[in-house]
Amino acid sequence: MRFALYLGCTVPIRTPNYEISARKIAEKIGIEFVDIPEFTCCGFPVKPMSTNATMLMAAYNLALAEEKGLDICTLCSACTSTLTDVVYKLNKDDGLKKEINSQLEKIGKRYQGKVKVRHFARILYENVGIERLKKLVKIPLNGFKFAAHYGCHYLKPSEIYDGFDNPERPVSLDKMIKITGAQSVDFDEKNLCCGGGILGIDENVALRMAREKLENIESADAMVLICPFCSVMYEANQRQINKRFSSDINLPVLFLPQILGLSIGIPEEELGFRFNKVKTKSLLERLKHSNKEEVIERA
Amino acid sequence: MASILIVDDELIICKSCKKILERSNHIVDYVLTGKEALKSVQEKKYEVVITDLKMPEINGMELLESVKKKWGNVDVIMITGYATIDTAVQAMKLGAYDYIPKPFTPEELQSVVLRLLEKRKVIEEERLAEERDLIRFEYTMPGDLYYLPEHAWVKIENSNLVRVGIDDVFIRSIGGIIEIKPPAKGETLEQGKLCAEVKDTRGNIHKMWSPVSGEVLEINQDVTNDYSVVKIDPYGSGWLLRIIPSHLGADLKNLIHGTPLVKWWLEKELVQGRKVKYVMAEGLDSNFKYEIARQPGGENITHCFQCGTCTASCPVRAIDERYNPRKIIRMALLGMKGRVLSSKFIWLCSSCYSCYERCPQDVRLTNVMSAISNIAVREGYIHPLYINSSEILKNHGRLYEVSEFDNKLRARSGLPSLQEDHETVKKILEITNVDTFIKRSRK
Repeated sequence: MRFALYLGCTVPIRTPNYEISARKIAEKIGIEFVDIPEFTCCGFPVKPMSTNATMLMAAYNLALAEEKGLDICTLCSACTSTLTDVVYKLNKDDGLKKEINSQLEKIGKRYQGKVKVRHFARILYENVGIERLKKLVKIPLNGFKFAAHYGCHYLKPSEIYDGFDNPERPVSLDKMIKITGAQSVDFDEKNLCCGGGILGIDENVALRMAREKLENIESADAMVLICPFCSVMYEANQRQINKRFSSDINLPVLFLPQILGLSIGIPEEELGFRFNKVKTKSLLERLKHSNKEEVIERA
Repeated sequence: MASILIVDDELIICKSCKKILERSNHIVDYVLTGKEALKSVQEKKYEVVITDLKMPEINGMELLESVKKKWGNVDVIMITGYATIDTAVQAMKLGAYDYIPKPFTPEELQSVVLRLLEKRKVIEEERLAEERDLIRFEYTMPGDLYYLPEHAWVKIENSNLVRVGIDDVFIRSIGGIIEIKPPAKGETLEQGKLCAEVKDTRGNIHKMWSPVSGEVLEINQDVTNDYSVVKIDPYGSGWLLRIIPSHLGADLKNLIHGTPLVKWWLEKELVQGRKVKYVMAEGLDSNFKYEIARQPGGENITHCFQCGTCTASCPVRAIDERYNPRKIIRMALLGMKGRVLSSKFIWLCSSCYSCYERCPQDVRLTNVMSAISNIAVREGYIHPLYINSSEILKNHGRLYEVSEFDNKLRARSGLPSLQEDHETVKKILEITNVDTFIKRSRK
């Protein structure tokens, strides 16, 4: 499997732990990532100003991947939604494709419509498959409880994603958590938005949205997610949430590739845990300890 | 049954009108001059005066003014020859209910009177309800329309195109509609002459006069397919024709527009002892919903039937009541363009797609919100966040600047270095006019 790795704006600057762990997992599984340095922003941030600008920015990035004959693997859910939406619309509407191409030509590009866009989590779930992932697990994370956060754009709008998972009752992330040996816990408001989309508009409302979910997760050792901006909301802003609302939340927030990496035996030093803002030291200590016990038990 | 006074200097007209109307059990008197008419109206309580326009001494127009001034609750219908159609249109502006061009058939006379009495009945019922239930009726009229009162309206789309529709009062006084016969495409219409015929469930044909002159460009198929559209949304999706006007400037002088219409209605209603509130929604733009529908993402806005599933699903609304998706759509459908575009809440959509997934009407609200904010940007209302974001994108091609330090840090973690391509993004923002909108909003 070979993909152009589309990092977007947030992943490479704010969540290097996500990028590091995703690249490691891909390497281990045999997915080749090709970096295209010319990739720009996907266009999501300008959608409220101009849908046309969003489409053009997305189409430009799609054209770059198409020139190299590659499909795109994304790590950010908002980028996934934006790029997939544009692919969906351009494939459906020839007139629109012509119009976008006439604008793209002004920046020396043309998009024919051959590129597929997939989120890394979906590639793991569908292309690699649960069975193969299961076989790779060497150090089961038994006894750990994780709360899956799907975010919004990984599955919605569902019409552009061929219904690969149910947006109201999703399972893909829970299943991938379970194969690590950990328990995927249920909680109220599991599908609640992180509020990231309006952080710059109304910080108070956005942080209250994030707090609501964090407070609903009671019995988990960590939250597991697949979107860099959700991580910004739940992890980078956790201290701010505690300060603003006088709460006492201390919930590690991990990326799916980080826990998958641990379970398939990649050393924690290679999974970017040092970049996690809510410290994971005690969590990792517990893991080492339980592993030792398991080795003794097995012996 | 109503008491009616006929005023015409031609005895034969008076007699035939009396005969026709008495068939419907009305009490009908006639007089031959305006002077006699004023005396009769003072002596007897007539509900309706039907007067010829051209008469010696006191003409129909002078009689109308005197009657409306002294006895505001008496309705006046004008009889006119085609040569005086202009004056008849002006008479409606002065308060005449309608006019009947000569020569007319008994059915034509009967249907105008019937429609008038039906309207009076509706008003009386509302007045009684006000007294009994202590309620107050409130009517909102789009402020961007020109009216031929109680009859038709005109909306200027641009200098070469107008949209024409039937007034709400006209429709309400007809009752059930079984047929609307619009003019043919390409037909030439003249202000004050026949525009369309509306047949009610009793078989009466009501004539709607054209509020402007010009050539018919388009007939609203939604209305011809389903007549109920004009009842549900008379000033919006219930429009009837699109016309290329030929004498727009002159025609508009004969119509009422804006605040004067509220005054016109208030004067009419107050004399009848009503406490109706007429709201001239200044700045209402009945085309706003179409503008949104033309915008990418806004196509399905008119599918909304206000069930509120969006509001119930919205995580932002659960925290901040200012953001109410159903209300925003309602305001947009009503044409409250200025208020919607300038409000802060249009930027509060977190684009979580919960409403989008659950909407039973497939309105696709997340996309509609983008369509609305896109229009807001074009009109000069841009949230400062997006001005900053576009500046960063223009300078770096990404939402976060990639510094030398960032690349060093990445190298240390074994990650490839990043490059910025701000030129491409800058050009995209120029091509799509985002740059221009931002510059304009700053001015």
